[in-house]
Amino acid sequence: MKKFLRTLSAFVAVLLVLLLSGCEEAKVKIPDPTERFFINDFAGVMDEKDVEEIYNIGAALNTAVAEKLSKDVGAQVVAVTIETTEGEEISEYALNLGRQWGVGNAEDNNGIVILLATEDREVYISVGYGLEGALPDSKVGRIIDDYGYDYFAENEFSAGILNLYRAVVREVYSEYDLLAPENITAPENHSENISASSIIKSWLGIIVLIAILIILSRRTGLFFFLSPGSRGFGGFFGGGRSGGSGGFGGFSGGGGSFGGGGAGRGF
Amino acid sequence: MKKSLIIVIAIIAIIGILAAVVAGKYNGFVTAEEELKSAQSQVGVQLQRRADLIPNFVATVKGYSDYEQSTLTAVTEARAKVGKAQTVSEQETANTELDKAISVWVNAVTEAYPDLKANTQYIALQDELAGTENRIATARKDYNTVAQKYNGKIRKFPSNIIANIFGFDKAEYFSADDNANTAPVVDFG
Repeated sequence: MKKFLRTLSAFVAVLLVLLLSGCEEAKVKIPDPTERFFINDFAGVMDEKDVEEIYNIGAALNTAVAEKLSKDVGAQVVAVTIETTEGEEISEYALNLGRQWGVGNAEDNNGIVILLATEDREVYISVGYGLEGALPDSKVGRIIDDYGYDYFAENEFSAGILNLYRAVVREVYSEYDLLAPENITAPENHSENISASSIIKSWLGIIVLIAILIILSRRTGLFFFLSPGSRGFGGFFGGGRSGGSGGFGGFSGGGGSFGGGGAGRGF
Repeated sequence: MKKSLIIVIAIIAIIGILAAVVAGKYNGFVTAEEELKSAQSQVGVQLQRRADLIPNFVATVKGYSDYEQSTLTAVTEARAKVGKAQTVSEQETANTELDKAISVWVNAVTEAYPDLKANTQYIALQDELAGTENRIATARKDYNTVAQKYNGKIRKFPSNIIANIFGFDKAEYFSADDNANTAPVVDFG
């Protein structure tokens, strides 16, 4: 009987080993999202005004698409600036970041990551599975050429990211048959060579736009504050992932995934 | 009498538990194997996607009189092999060959016709090609992750005994060939 008990306990031990199987996963050294989920200026190159504007555009898009889809998380466009990818391919960095943060919602995989590496002088836009149809690689490349490249080549990172962000968000709005808000319907097309007069002209345009945008963003900010169901700021938590979000907006990723679509440029 | 009855019951119980564990493990292996297959087919899908882009490329460049015919032949041949590849290693060989052929051909063409770089259709195709390279790299990495999990499952003691009995083989990995995995960033500097 004793002998039998011993074999039984050995058997139970084997069972435990069978049941306990760990799964290990490799982690990449990607920073956590900031509290302003849609714009994360790790390189410190963004103007405060542009950051706020991008945040407002991103939040409005997320909310609009979420409402349209009747889901907690809508389409998410996330802009990130870093100094360097530390030797990693920028396309891979952007993809890993998108997956790690879970940009976009888990069912539609409708996230986009705009990644600028200022020291590497590279920009890359990574597109989630669900938006690959709306934004095929060639279109993404053209958007960078038309709306970002010249800014980045001139080290105007903040303006370049803002302009690029607007152009990408516009595409997402039209993918969901939604009317884009006025503040992003006419992004600056910067593809022509910059001449002195066009610089002045575009700056004038930008100043006017910024003025309009400040007014508009204040208004949208107010709407957020007053919209039912939200307890002030912080009522907009995404699905799946919980991030260290607090204070500012409380947006986080919805678990969207990426398959390697997108395009990039060195400048 | 009482003692032997207990032993019989215990043996039956042990056999029952063992059978349940084996069945559970077996089903786990089957699920993992299916995941593996789907990850592998994803790689194939992306390889095919790239192969399909090549005719578009050729059509775009055709306007440029006699585009590099000799290097193009290598591309066409390599492309045909991708369609026939079945196993992981075959896919890998075909992929590497096509990689090389494409880069040689694209380089030859752009050297011969520098103004192609300003051709928007050509730029668009370059982006598509680069994006497809990315997708291939991603699909391969995802495959490797799944393969690693699967291999870990079937090779760890004591699961390996069950895996051996039912003939679950170790999955092949895509080797981390850095050249094949890095997608070119188109630079118009």
